[in-house]
Amino acid sequence: MTFISTGVLRPRFNWQALVTLAVLLVVGFLVLLPLTFLVGESFNTGDALAFPPEEYGIGNYLAIFEEDLHVLTNTVAIAVMATAMAIVIGFTLAWILTRTNVKGRATLERLMELPYYMTPLVGALAWGVLTSPKSGFFNQLYQLLGGKGDLFNIYSMFGIAWIMALFEGTVAFVMIAASMKSMDPALEESARVMGAGKLRTALTVTLPLVMPGVLGATLFVFAEMLGSFAAALVIGIPGRIYVITTAIWDSTLSYPPAYGRAAAMGLALFLVMFGMLSFYRWVVRRGSYATITGKAFRPRPMDMGGLSWLLFGVCALYVFLAVVLPIAALLFTSLQRFATVILSQAQFTFANYQAAFSLGPVRTAMVNSLSLGFGVASVGVIVMALIVWIIYRSQLIGRGYVEYLVMFPQAVPRMVFGLALLWAWLNMPIPIYGTLWLLALAYFTVMLPLGVRTLAGVVLQIDKSLEECARVCGAGWGYQMRTITLPLLKPGILAAWLLIFMACVRELGVSVFLMGPNAKVIAPSIVAAWQSSGTELTAAMALIQTFTVIVALVILYRLTRGMTKELT
Amino acid sequence: MKRSVVIVAALSVLGCMGWSGAQAQAKLCDKPRQMDGFKTCADVEKAEAEGAFVLYSTDPEQGQVKLLASFNKLFPKIKTNYVRLQAGALYAKLLSERQAKSYLVDVVQISDMGMILDFQKRGGFRQYISPEMAAYKPEFKSTPEGYWTWGSVIMAGIAYNPNNVSAAEAPKTWQDLLDPKWTDAINVKVSNSGLQHGVYYMLKPILGEEYFKKFAAQKPRAFDSYVQQYGRIIDGQDKIIMGAQYSGAIEFKAKGAPIAFVFPETGVPAVPETYGIVADGPHPNASELFMDWFLGVPGQKALGEALLLHSARLDVPAPGGGVELKDMKLLTPADWNAFEKGRPEFAKEWDRAVGARR
Amino acid sequence: MSDSVTRIEVSSLKVRYGDAVAVNGVSFTVGRGEHVTLLGPSGCGKTTTLRTIAGLETPSDGSIRIDGQAMYDAAEGKNVPTEQRGVSMVFQSYAVWPHMTVFDNVAYGLRVRKLSKADIAANVERALDLVQMRHLAERGASKLSGGQQQRVALARAIAFSPTVVLFDEPLSNLDAKLRAEMRVELRELQRRLDITSVYVTHDQEEALAISDRVIVMNVGVIEQIGTPEQIYNKPRSRFVADFVGSANLIKGRLTGPDRFEAEGGVVLRAIAPHTPRGDETEVAVRTAYIDLQPRPGDNHVPGIVRQRMFHGDFVQYIIDCACGKLIVRRPPTNLLDEGAAVRVSFSPEHCVLLEG
Repeated sequence: MTFISTGVLRPRFNWQALVTLAVLLVVGFLVLLPLTFLVGESFNTGDALAFPPEEYGIGNYLAIFEEDLHVLTNTVAIAVMATAMAIVIGFTLAWILTRTNVKGRATLERLMELPYYMTPLVGALAWGVLTSPKSGFFNQLYQLLGGKGDLFNIYSMFGIAWIMALFEGTVAFVMIAASMKSMDPALEESARVMGAGKLRTALTVTLPLVMPGVLGATLFVFAEMLGSFAAALVIGIPGRIYVITTAIWDSTLSYPPAYGRAAAMGLALFLVMFGMLSFYRWVVRRGSYATITGKAFRPRPMDMGGLSWLLFGVCALYVFLAVVLPIAALLFTSLQRFATVILSQAQFTFANYQAAFSLGPVRTAMVNSLSLGFGVASVGVIVMALIVWIIYRSQLIGRGYVEYLVMFPQAVPRMVFGLALLWAWLNMPIPIYGTLWLLALAYFTVMLPLGVRTLAGVVLQIDKSLEECARVCGAGWGYQMRTITLPLLKPGILAAWLLIFMACVRELGVSVFLMGPNAKVIAPSIVAAWQSSGTELTAAMALIQTFTVIVALVILYRLTRGMTKELT
Repeated sequence: MKRSVVIVAALSVLGCMGWSGAQAQAKLCDKPRQMDGFKTCADVEKAEAEGAFVLYSTDPEQGQVKLLASFNKLFPKIKTNYVRLQAGALYAKLLSERQAKSYLVDVVQISDMGMILDFQKRGGFRQYISPEMAAYKPEFKSTPEGYWTWGSVIMAGIAYNPNNVSAAEAPKTWQDLLDPKWTDAINVKVSNSGLQHGVYYMLKPILGEEYFKKFAAQKPRAFDSYVQQYGRIIDGQDKIIMGAQYSGAIEFKAKGAPIAFVFPETGVPAVPETYGIVADGPHPNASELFMDWFLGVPGQKALGEALLLHSARLDVPAPGGGVELKDMKLLTPADWNAFEKGRPEFAKEWDRAVGARR
Repeated sequence: MSDSVTRIEVSSLKVRYGDAVAVNGVSFTVGRGEHVTLLGPSGCGKTTTLRTIAGLETPSDGSIRIDGQAMYDAAEGKNVPTEQRGVSMVFQSYAVWPHMTVFDNVAYGLRVRKLSKADIAANVERALDLVQMRHLAERGASKLSGGQQQRVALARAIAFSPTVVLFDEPLSNLDAKLRAEMRVELRELQRRLDITSVYVTHDQEEALAISDRVIVMNVGVIEQIGTPEQIYNKPRSRFVADFVGSANLIKGRLTGPDRFEAEGGVVLRAIAPHTPRGDETEVAVRTAYIDLQPRPGDNHVPGIVRQRMFHGDFVQYIIDCACGKLIVRRPPTNLLDEGAAVRVSFSPEHCVLLEG
């Protein structure tokens, strides 16, 4: 039996090398160039506006220690408090939702994602309304019930830490829950079989086994807290409490602008964060504590009996504090004629929403944010998919360095990166400063770690043999990527797209520096409104932003569920 | 040797004359065009062809939007855009952009004369003589005219919420603010603010060196915008605004909020919000058209409605039924150069007083 | 049987990963239409060798030639990329693409070669016919059972008429019954299409059943190459004797050209497939070749039945004797009791002197 004669394989152009090179050049340029400007500027001790700098020196760094030491101590103190609280929140929630049999776990787990979409900015605004001294809702209630003075004062270091912890708590939760989920239940079961009670098992078996995951989460969260900006801006500045990020912000907004000082502080912060994240990576790599294997275990949940309602309440309380209460407070404020929590003085109106929707700039800002999100996510995921393939599947020499390069922006606080980008692009001959193109480039660069991490998780799950088989069948690299790899990556690509889209719409740290009259985006507009318009208008804008994001999220989630169903 | 010196001297004199001649060369156009309520020297068709206009200003966004909307109503083909930042930040941004040869803005408003003069020295303004500038007193515009003009006058007094502070105990003079009962209950503007600089500069010689040191002991809190300041006395977080912008009082009273404003006997420090066309701006004709409209009666009236600000023109009434300029005792710096030079020292002391980082 | 035309030629192949050497100097040839199996335990380098032929791994030294053309040659610095080698492969995990239909999976290699639609359809249908999967051509590949996926992988591998097909343990994920069936079908197919195949497995039963020649590998080197009968009846080393089939290894020393004195003083007549050196210390006797009734002309060894275990298709006895323990496998009739005395018997042909 013979087959019809089959075709001939022709030698092909080496697309893989070309595309790889192009991708590396572009990414290297986007990530490293701004940082070189930042480093250069930090040594500028002459006229801040001159470029290239006229005088060089380490004066800026010395000044940090001489004049701004309290800023450093504030930053560390707040970060420590916030991390401690976030880890406690995350750990408790993770334990309740993965190891116990509390009812409605699946729904609760979904709800845990909501605070992430709320953004600390919106949360800070809302909690300001709730707990500002004398006029916060809670304080008013307290006074009505006969209390003297204030029950809460949000304008304190603890207040800032509280808000940061509330919203970063979800990140801690996700990381610790992942580590708890991948624990082999047999390890606990053998303890129980030998007679150890629930508590004893939890303390002597479960806890030590998840410790590496908790430690990793702690480091990661701490690094993020150091670079956090929104809460410190809204709550810290009125309370006269400055942290590094708001100090950097402040330096660039005064006349004459202290760019050198800001750059020096930014670099200092970056180095600390970098150190922490490297340490975190080392801990995670080292953790071969036999819990994280390839298989996903289904741990047997503990029966909590009567306590399960209490635990359910704990989860519900978190969602209440992080999502329900802030939205309610903002809703209330946004419907007032002028912001007051003193109900006797309040007058209600829809005018704020009218204003918010009719304000051309708000509409433009919202449209810009959505367009940027769409554009950056769409182009970004393709490039990131290529990058991920290069790192994990190619034989390229030095692909480990590519991974490092791509994860780099994570170690740089957004704020600082924004400053670096501002400085770099102000002085580059390509005139994209003040346009949406610069914002698009900036967003793409800062989203690289997020996208690459998400896609990497999916790529690693694709069996290598699926790609090898294509090659064996005669497919060149490009054909294989198009017909096999990218289609298989679809669920991951969609997930990454969603995450990037939302992150773009919420983006604040980089955008504050790079906006121009024709390139406004929504989060900095909310900050600007908070500074120069009333709280009522700000509340309305914040709510509009939050709901737009959630609506977009729901739509996209529905669409992707349909698509991923096809693949399974 | 002597001859070359003479030649150089002669050349430099000629050069100076040429330069000042070039300066004085810009003059009022021969046939200003009469528009609806104002005269313009701008080429209206070219302005509409440019299709856009960008303003940098320190005024609150909502107000800027309203103002620009009035302009846009008259000239729908010209799309307007703006950036709002406090004076120091705005100026920093302006200078950074120019230094990087990025020209994004047509007209700039800064509420600090020091910065305005500095910008003029750097050649940042383009001279354009508007037919409407004739309505402004010489001290309200640049000399020679056409570089910058006062768009409005803002004055600062004392404000409080009558629901929280009774008329009896309310402060009546600047010195009353030093009373210990107002500790931790006063808010002010940040050192970036032109108005706050004016308050400091004018009151220091009158009230004495010690005044602001004692005032610092009251632990005032600083904010970027009068909107925040007024918001906080309405909901009781603070009790008093020191250096309260009068336009804010008018605005909030009009919204129905409980605000009382005090004009102390000593006088109210006042500074201008100054406007000028930026050199090398992207839409030169639209800029000229805007300036003519803005400095004319319709523009000034629109400003009053949008931002409740007092016009420097004598033929425009006070906004929102507020007190007229002529009925106030205004304290304005006589020497703006000295004002500008005093800024760094003001900034340092003010930042210390309000607990800002530096 | 091997032809005069050699299809694949592997010479002095070495594969190194950092400090570890996976393949340490392997050389063999595969003739046209031959089915050669690389057999060995995990870690012996058989899969690595296979993958280097495919071009999925890069060797450190040696050369690989297919149809006389160098695919890899360390001396010349030549390394042809996988997609240009024209060899086909069936993976252990089948690697059936879940996002395509069965038809698309099988058609992939044809589409790459830019055949016309009609030609593609014809080839795919014939390939599917050969594996009896034609009726499932439009089904999504993710909805197939393990056995069905295996057939699709096979069809895909032969659809574009490759000259060489490589098999990487294709049956190891199937259950025993299915494995046995597929083995037969695979052999059928290979004969029919006259495909040159290189097959990797750790299952010695499988290797013996379907191969023309077997290459036994251990820790990166070749222990023995031969036909299944040769490997089974004349193992060269202790490893081969032990790994392939079940054998008794009796220690002792050579006392003559065909005489072996075992421990305990038992004297056996043996054969030596190689020229004896004189210092050999072991003979191997297949458990299946030991009889429980003494036969004339055989070696006779008296002993006592220590243990009897019933395995279904055969019974295994452990016999205590002077030369140690002997394991005997017999058909499950005429069972002996434990403790009974017995005289086992095996021919000198089946008493093989091991090289060492």
